[in-house]
Amino acid sequence: MSRPAESTAPARIFVIDDDDVMLLSCRRILERDGYAVETFDNGHEGLTRLETVKPQLILVDLKMPELDGLQVIQRIRGLDPDLVIAVITGYATIATAVDAMKAGAYDFLPKPFTPDELRLVVTRGCERWRLANDSKRLRHEKEAAERRIVTFLTHQLKSPLAAAKQYLDVLAFTSGTELPPKAAEWIARSQARLEEMLILIDDWLTLANVERGAVSHREASTELPAVISQVAQAAAPHAERSRVTVTTSVDPGIPPVCGDAGSVATVISNLVINGIKYNHPSGEVTLRAAREGEMARVDVTDNGIGIPEESLPRIFEEFYRVGNGAARDVPGSGLGLAICRRIVEELGGSIEAASTLGSGSTFTVRLPLATRTGSQRAA
Amino acid sequence: MSEPKTILIIDDDPDFVAAISHLLETCGHRVRSAPDGRKGYELAQAILPDLVLLDVMMTERTEGFFTLERIRRTPALKHVPVIVVSSIYAEYPSFRVNPDAGWLPADLFLAKPTDPQRLIDEVTRLLAAPPVSGSVAS
Repeated sequence: MSRPAESTAPARIFVIDDDDVMLLSCRRILERDGYAVETFDNGHEGLTRLETVKPQLILVDLKMPELDGLQVIQRIRGLDPDLVIAVITGYATIATAVDAMKAGAYDFLPKPFTPDELRLVVTRGCERWRLANDSKRLRHEKEAAERRIVTFLTHQLKSPLAAAKQYLDVLAFTSGTELPPKAAEWIARSQARLEEMLILIDDWLTLANVERGAVSHREASTELPAVISQVAQAAAPHAERSRVTVTTSVDPGIPPVCGDAGSVATVISNLVINGIKYNHPSGEVTLRAAREGEMARVDVTDNGIGIPEESLPRIFEEFYRVGNGAARDVPGSGLGLAICRRIVEELGGSIEAASTLGSGSTFTVRLPLATRTGSQRAA
Repeated sequence: MSEPKTILIIDDDPDFVAAISHLLETCGHRVRSAPDGRKGYELAQAILPDLVLLDVMMTERTEGFFTLERIRRTPALKHVPVIVVSSIYAEYPSFRVNPDAGWLPADLFLAKPTDPQRLIDEVTRLLAAPPVSGSVAS
């Protein structure tokens, strides 16, 4: 059985019980095992002490005059929901145990108990506290590491790539016609390769930001028709280059949807760009938006190369890329649809895909209407 | 080509400065540059540029924002068009930062690397724009 000796400071235990003999024996047993024990003969004193010191475990007697054990437990939980509580009682019935657990107790010690039974409950309680704290600490460390990666990606990777591409962009623009054909061609290829990498980094940053909850502002609301027209406008140069037609059919009366315009635009833009990329010359991409009950529904349909049936369940996974012939040649980070799914989920909506290989795909996004959240908040 | 104007680039990336200077000079503009916000602001006061290209991510993460604030609070500079150029703004800058919100009074946001044609078009547009009322004073 593990002792609290692993950590430098002894584990601190509070015992709250109106029976002095009980308090004394708990103290004796636990102090011998190296715990720091504080005892209180009523709930008020224990709760007051909790405001300054947080123990690893609190043992509470259920049956006490004045403030009874269940009330003490409820107040402790109100003070700090992470505190671990075990209940001591002389009335070891299922009903009292259930009540105590419901109120937030973690363990149960029926009176009378042997020193070993007490030790078992205390060890379990301290272990529980340690695990809860470890996972909290790990979560914080993980978040800090993610923030460092995001900063690293932006500064150390993106800036030099952007500078290199900027040189080539300016060079091609100012001296494109004077360059030997080979040089012009290789500059163009280098520009394209650098562009791919910049897009990958941007996608990666977006995904990291979405996962931190930093991108999708649920409480914000967005006018879908305005976002769709801006997305279509921004996609126009891509469409023209690929000789794909983008058409929109938007019900102008759609109420605003949940989410900030940036997040909603990122989702729709990713789908439209995919519709253009995975298409044939003279292909078509259609953007439709309409209200559907308490949701807004956006369909992005293309008549492009389509997705094989076996790939369909996996396309929203990070870094998953369809391996069939036509799609393999299209550059992409494999993150676009993962970003879409994460944002849509964050906003309380859904995304799905339907496709027939060789004849095209339809991606359907449903976003909750902002009015609904508004009325809920008002209620 | 329009009459030559003086453009100030405030950016700590010497390669970006070199590439963009070359582009703007090719279009007949005079280009000056400064590697950080403090020197950039001092130079702006000294030369009173016709337009400023400002990077927001210099040594300190928010340095560019402070520089922009200082430019906007200086009577002789407050009507100078400022284009914020940064790698932190992706494809939809107008969505992420709303210039109407007033907290970042830049005239335009452009992502790095910048499309040369787009930059020249925007620079030409901003230089040709009639001065906002009151700016004639300087």
